Amino acid sequence: MNGGDATAIGPAPTGQPRRRAVIVGVIAVVALVLGIGVAFLHRNSADAVRDGSAVLKLVLPDTNGRQQALAQWRGKVLVVNFWATWCAPCREEMPEFVAAQARDGAKGVQFVGIAVDDPDKVRAFAKELKLNYPALIGGFGAIELSKTLGNDLAALPFTIVLDRQGRVTHTQLGPLKQAKLDALLGRLL
Amino acid sequence: MRWLLPLFSLLLATAHAEGVSSLAPKLLPPEQAFRLSARALDANTIEARFDVADGYYLYRDRMHFATEPVPAANAVLPPGKPKHDAFFGDVETYRGEVVVRVPLTKTAAGQKITLHADSQGCADVGVCYPPNPQQLTLVVPAAGDKPGAFVEPGSKGWFK
Repeated sequence: MNGGDATAIGPAPTGQPRRRAVIVGVIAVVALVLGIGVAFLHRNSADAVRDGSAVLKLVLPDTNGRQQALAQWRGKVLVVNFWATWCAPCREEMPEFVAAQARDGAKGVQFVGIAVDDPDKVRAFAKELKLNYPALIGGFGAIELSKTLGNDLAALPFTIVLDRQGRVTHTQLGPLKQAKLDALLGRLL
Repeated sequence: MRWLLPLFSLLLATAHAEGVSSLAPKLLPPEQAFRLSARALDANTIEARFDVADGYYLYRDRMHFATEPVPAANAVLPPGKPKHDAFFGDVETYRGEVVVRVPLTKTAAGQKITLHADSQGCADVGVCYPPNPQQLTLVVPAAGDKPGAFVEPGSKGWFK
């Protein structure tokens, strides 16, 4: 591998130690760049902690048209789920949320659904599912907010988990698996 | 020092893999997952197409078409694949290529027609897109002429 052609290029007599120094230098730079890169990626990953104050500032109507401020659940572990009746994967994961709300509600968990949908359809589905947490109606503003939290395509379901201090500790595009949800709640309760 | 090259590429590859795995599942924007195009078949008929990317599907009953200034009659939607939905009952979905005939209520020979196409679909990974209203403008050929060329929403200065 380390053939004669390479030695011929460098300054022959002092080649070996200098080359070693260069190699060590290159490895150090590579390691530094990789370290910075990985740290940067982790910062942007789904589990990076972000400020959730914009979420807690939301005020949205419920299915009866009454305005509900998300700030009323400040201090709880808040699971905000963006969904719609026209989104089958959303509906499929909601029984899990209903069960978790029943199980962990007393321990300080509050689920809040933000439906990107007609109130009539939301009301009908909430009744069918015996939804035990608030179903709010999210308009354009709610979708825009989900975009700022990493949901660029405004796709559903999209779920964010806030700790008791109001920090976004997890964002999930697509179904939130039971095991993942349990682990997240276990860590925050 | 040539031996460093493979090592370097290996390190880069590892870094790259790490980056991809920590990002959200790679989803196509709806315009690419469900590519709309349309052409005028003749002076009375628009043909709309959706090219649905692999791993994505559209809902038949959430597809709506309208035209202006000449209004469209009911679009002729091909049968989809039946799917039972726990909340909406029996629905139909489309994958691959969907070709829809949109008849005009009167001849529009030589006129500019704007087609409004609403669609809504999902990805198999378990994500759905919001209803997506799109529009494009095409020129209807004169009576007896060949069908017009396919037009896509982006190609006519349409911005989301």
